[in-house]
Amino acid sequence: MRRSVLVGGAVLGLVALAGLLSAIPGLLPYDVVGDVDPTRAGAAPGAAHWLGTDHLGRDVAWRLLLATKAFVGPGLLACALASVVGVGAGAVAGYLGGPVAGFLRYLFTVTASIPRFVLVLLAIAIYGNDTLLLGAVAGLAYSPAVAEAVFARIDSLRRAEFVLAARAHGLGDARILAYHLLWVNCRRMVGRHALNLFAYLLLLETTLSYIGGFGVMEPDPSWGNMLAFEFGQRSGNPWGVWAPALALWGTILCCGMLSEALAERSHA
Amino acid sequence: MAAPPARHDARPAASHHGVWRTLLPVLRLLASFALTLAGAALAIQLLLWAAPGDPVDLVPNGAEVRAQLEADWGLDQPLPVRYGRFMLRALRGDLGTSFTYRPGATVTALVLPAAVRSLGVLLPALVLALTVGLGLGFWTAGRRSLLGRALQTVSVAPVFLLAFIAVQILNEVAFFGMEAGWFGRPSWFALPDAESGLKLALAVTVLAVGSGALAEVHAAVEDEITRLRNAPFVDAAIARGAPAWRHVLWNLLPPLATIAYGRAAFFVGGLVIVEKVLHLNGVGSMLWQACRMRDYPVALGITLLAAAAVAGVRLAGDLVRVAVDPRLRESGP
Repeated sequence: MRRSVLVGGAVLGLVALAGLLSAIPGLLPYDVVGDVDPTRAGAAPGAAHWLGTDHLGRDVAWRLLLATKAFVGPGLLACALASVVGVGAGAVAGYLGGPVAGFLRYLFTVTASIPRFVLVLLAIAIYGNDTLLLGAVAGLAYSPAVAEAVFARIDSLRRAEFVLAARAHGLGDARILAYHLLWVNCRRMVGRHALNLFAYLLLLETTLSYIGGFGVMEPDPSWGNMLAFEFGQRSGNPWGVWAPALALWGTILCCGMLSEALAERSHA
Repeated sequence: MAAPPARHDARPAASHHGVWRTLLPVLRLLASFALTLAGAALAIQLLLWAAPGDPVDLVPNGAEVRAQLEADWGLDQPLPVRYGRFMLRALRGDLGTSFTYRPGATVTALVLPAAVRSLGVLLPALVLALTVGLGLGFWTAGRRSLLGRALQTVSVAPVFLLAFIAVQILNEVAFFGMEAGWFGRPSWFALPDAESGLKLALAVTVLAVGSGALAEVHAAVEDEITRLRNAPFVDAAIARGAPAWRHVLWNLLPPLATIAYGRAAFFVGGLVIVEKVLHLNGVGSMLWQACRMRDYPVALGITLLAAAAVAGVRLAGDLVRVAVDPRLRESGP
C-alpha cells in the first residue's frame, strides 16, 4: 500500500464516518449548535475545547465535526447519481454507436456548455435551498463528463479482440458490456470521477455557505460559513479560521491523492 | 450491435473542391455551436418550466394582479410556445425585461455593461494563466521540480478559500504596517472596498490560480516540451538550422486549445465566486443577485451568455486545432 493511499483513505474515511454519524440525531452530548456563551468567546485550544471557541463562544471542534453532515450525504448522492446516469448513458452510446450515440453526445455537449456552478446556482434558486438537492443537481450536471469518458473508452474497445473472442464464445451483449467492458475496463476511471465529484461537491457546498444566502446558514455549521463567520474578527483564537480552512483543503487534497493513485493503477 | 460508424480512411475523392475541404469543417463547427446554444436555451427553459414557485409570489400584491402579470411575463403559456417565443426574440437580441432585480429594465441593457466589466477580470486572468503557465513550463520542462506539484496543490483549493487567505494576509500586512507607522489607517479594512487596482489584481490572480488554469497550462507545456525534445522533426529542424521554437509553439496550440475548452466552464464559475467574495460589480454578482431575487429573465440571460462563452471557447479551440492539424480536416475534430 502506498503512503498516499493510506493517508488519503484514512482521512476520507474519517470524514465520511463523521458525516454519517452526525446525520443521526441524538448522538451529540449537548446542544452544540445553540451553545452560545460570550464569556468564553475566542478561547484558545484547551482540554475543554480542543480547538478553542469562535467569537460567540461555540466549540470549534464540535462545529467542525458537525459540518461534515452538510456535504457527506449529498456528496455520496451526487457520486451515485453521476455514476449510474453517466455510466448508463455512456455505455449505451458507446455500445450502440450510430445516431443514438450522436444524439446522446449532443446532449452531453449541451449540458457541459452550461458552467456547472451556474447551473447549480440556478437550480437551487428555482427549486429551493437544500443540500441534498444540491448533491442531486451536481451529480446530474457532472454525469456528462462520466458519460463522455465511458463512451470514449467503450467506443475504442468495441472492436477489440477480447470482445470478439467473448462473442465467439457465445457470451451475450449484456455480459460483455457489463463485465468485460464496464467492470474490467472502466471501474477505476469511474472511481476517479466519483472522487473528483466528491471534492467538487465539498467545494460547492462550502462556497455557497461561505458567500451566504444559499447553502448552510447560521447557526448550522459548514466549513464555509465557519470561515465567513470568523472573517475579520480578531477573536484571539486563530483556529476558528485555520481549522475549517485546513479541513477543507486537506479533504480536497486527499480526494486528489486517491484519484491519482487510481490513475496510476489503471495505467499499470 | 449496430455497424461501426464509417471512418474516413481513404482520402476524399478528387472531385472535392479545395475550398470546400477547408470550408466544410468550419461550417460544421459553426452549426454545432448554434445547435449547442439552442439546446442550452431549451435546457434552461425546461428547468424554469418545472419550477414550483414563480416570481409573481415575490411581488407584494401578487395575488391581486397575478393574472395580469402572468400574461405580461408570458408565464401562462405552454413550454413550446415559451421556448419558441424566447428563441425568436433572442435572435433579435431581446432577452426580455427584468422582473425584480431592476423592474422594467431590459436584460440586454443590464447584462451587457456588467459583462464588459467582468471581462476586465476574465481576460487578464486568462492572459496571466497562459503567459505564466507557458513561461514556467518552458523553464521547468525536463527537470525535476517541485513547482508543478506546488502549483497543483494550491490550485485545488476552492477559489473562495484562496481569496479569503489572500485577504487575510493583506489585512495582516496592513495591520502590521499601521502598527509600525509606515502609513495611516487605510480607507478600507478587512476588504478593499472601492474598485481599486489592488482588488483587481487580487481577483485576477485568484481566478487564474483557483480555476486550475495556471497549473494545467504549466503541466501541459511541460509534457509537450519534454515530448518535443525527443521528437525527430525537431532534431531535423535544428539540424537544418531552422528555428525550432516555431515547431514547438505550433505543437503547443492543440493541447492549449483543449485546456481552454476544459477550463472555460471553471473560469466562468470562478468568476461568479470571485466577484461575490471580493465584492466586485460584474455579471457574476449580478447572476447571484438575480438568483436570490428569482429574477428569471436576468438569471436566464446570464446563464445563456455563460453557455455562449463556453461554447464559443470550444468553437475557437476546434478552429485552432483544425487549422493546425491537417489530419482533423478530413475526419473532423
